[in-house]
Amino acid sequence: MTAPLRALIADDEELARHLVREYLGGHADIDIVGESVNGLDAAKALGELQPDLVFLDIHMPKLSGLEVLELSGRRDGVIFTTAYDQYAQKAFDLHAIDYLLKPFSKTRFDEALARARARLGQALPAIDKLIAHPSAWVERVLIRDREQVHVIAVDKIDYIEAQSDYIAIHSQGRDYLKTQRISDLEAQLDPKNFVRVHRSFIIHLAALQGIERFGSDGHAARMSDGKRVPISRSGYDRLRAAM
Amino acid sequence: MHPILADLRHLLRYVAAWLLIGVALAWGLWQGGLAAPIPALVFALPLCGVFGFVALSSYYLCRSMPIARRTGMLSLTVFGGATLAVALGWLGLGVAWNGAGYALGRGAGLAAMTQPAWVAFFAAGIGLYVVSILGHDVLLAFDSVREAAAREAQARGLARESELQLLRTQIHPHFLFNSLNSISALTSIDPAGAREMTIALAQFFRQTLALADRDRITLGEELALCEHYLAIEKRRLGARLTTDLRIDAATLAALIPPLTLQPLIENAIKHGIHQLDEPGEVRLDALARDAWLHLRLVNPLPARACMEPGQAGLGVGLKNIRERLEALYGERMRFTWQRGETHFEVEITLPLERETDR
Repeated sequence: MTAPLRALIADDEELARHLVREYLGGHADIDIVGESVNGLDAAKALGELQPDLVFLDIHMPKLSGLEVLELSGRRDGVIFTTAYDQYAQKAFDLHAIDYLLKPFSKTRFDEALARARARLGQALPAIDKLIAHPSAWVERVLIRDREQVHVIAVDKIDYIEAQSDYIAIHSQGRDYLKTQRISDLEAQLDPKNFVRVHRSFIIHLAALQGIERFGSDGHAARMSDGKRVPISRSGYDRLRAAM
Repeated sequence: MHPILADLRHLLRYVAAWLLIGVALAWGLWQGGLAAPIPALVFALPLCGVFGFVALSSYYLCRSMPIARRTGMLSLTVFGGATLAVALGWLGLGVAWNGAGYALGRGAGLAAMTQPAWVAFFAAGIGLYVVSILGHDVLLAFDSVREAAAREAQARGLARESELQLLRTQIHPHFLFNSLNSISALTSIDPAGAREMTIALAQFFRQTLALADRDRITLGEELALCEHYLAIEKRRLGARLTTDLRIDAATLAALIPPLTLQPLIENAIKHGIHQLDEPGEVRLDALARDAWLHLRLVNPLPARACMEPGQAGLGVGLKNIRERLEALYGERMRFTWQRGETHFEVEITLPLERETDR
């Protein structure tokens, strides 16, 4: 006999969790190992409990379902649940990801469960695409710092600097390091507010104080914290276009 | 431009009216034995034609001094002075034109004007100009009434439109589907609770539809709607949502536009309580002070950085409500909101109207 499957339920509403519990009651080979009432809990539980399956609500306090996946790096055994979210649904459909629309029937639930079982342990590459190219510009950036999670509102970011294999996010006098490609983050930020002024730099227009001459025909951006950020020739054109 | 000059048909009618006055004047001269019919007409018609155009000037005079802003001395000086000046001009013109009769070889001018005849002529000039001033005042009054009516109709249209818009956004799919999911869960653990929640949901939608059709409802009716809404949310959120409604009994009969409070409570729950991990309280105060109704709604907020994405549209619903209240009350209302570090607060002040006042 194989070991039972271990499942986590993440939903902020008690009745919604209860319904999943009830539907799972018919499956003797599934153990519910934990329940999470917000996104942060869910991300933590995913790391600590390493469940085989997770029922993940999209709208939760603290972190959304997608942010939970971004933070935990979890890519397999995910069954999304949502009541109504035009953007998320569009993105799911686009990447052919299965999801349960509340309220859902037992039949529909069993179907999604069967599909997830069949792919147990297989990462869904579509989730990467979902996270890298959200359907709307992101409004906050998540940074994992050992046990801590920093949530930075994008309007508090001054500029972003690419270093060897990570990026440094400068915000309110602090630096936060994150393993992410600068071009991936650039794709998530609203180009009306953020401009890639250099191969290694993205600046927030709100934190730009002025543009200075630098060298014979180069430019540098003077930021609100007094730092100078180099501007490349094509970066200068992009900056002019954005302003 | 003067409305009469701007329209050819009006102008023709206006000139015809002055020619009739000219004929009347000529008839007076003939009856008074001062002139034969033909010279009397030659004397009176051109003068009246010219005076007709001069009289139009009173339109600008009346417009520059709206009736509401006229004070005794100033208006007497302005209107009296203008009338005197015009009448003197009229007299001068009359004397000069009559003198043209000499040029035509007539011994006594076009009409044999005596001194009393000239006094009467001068008085007629004053009278005609005063009539013109009064006529223009009436014209302007009609205009402003028409304008006010148009403005009101526009405001009404705007109010109705935003009401409909509100109603449409009212039936939030997110709220509806989550509630149905809760009912679905309740059917097996608490069938009576499932039924209660179904009824509260039905009541909420039914009342929303019924109330949205009316211009004003009592605060009591609005609160009944909110109670259904809160009953549903409490079922969904359990202990996470508590409420503290401090309603002054004197405010229950106060009239407010429908769906003023409910969307605010919905905002408070959606952007406040739902985003919080720990339990939160929505607090509503309703007070009647002097001739004003004060409403205040406070809800806790999650820390700024923990806001769920998509909160940028937060102000849209609030702006809609403000626009609606502005269209209905104009200057006689206040609607403010304030976002603190930990709390969000909305305050509304409306004139205190009761059913019996209407």
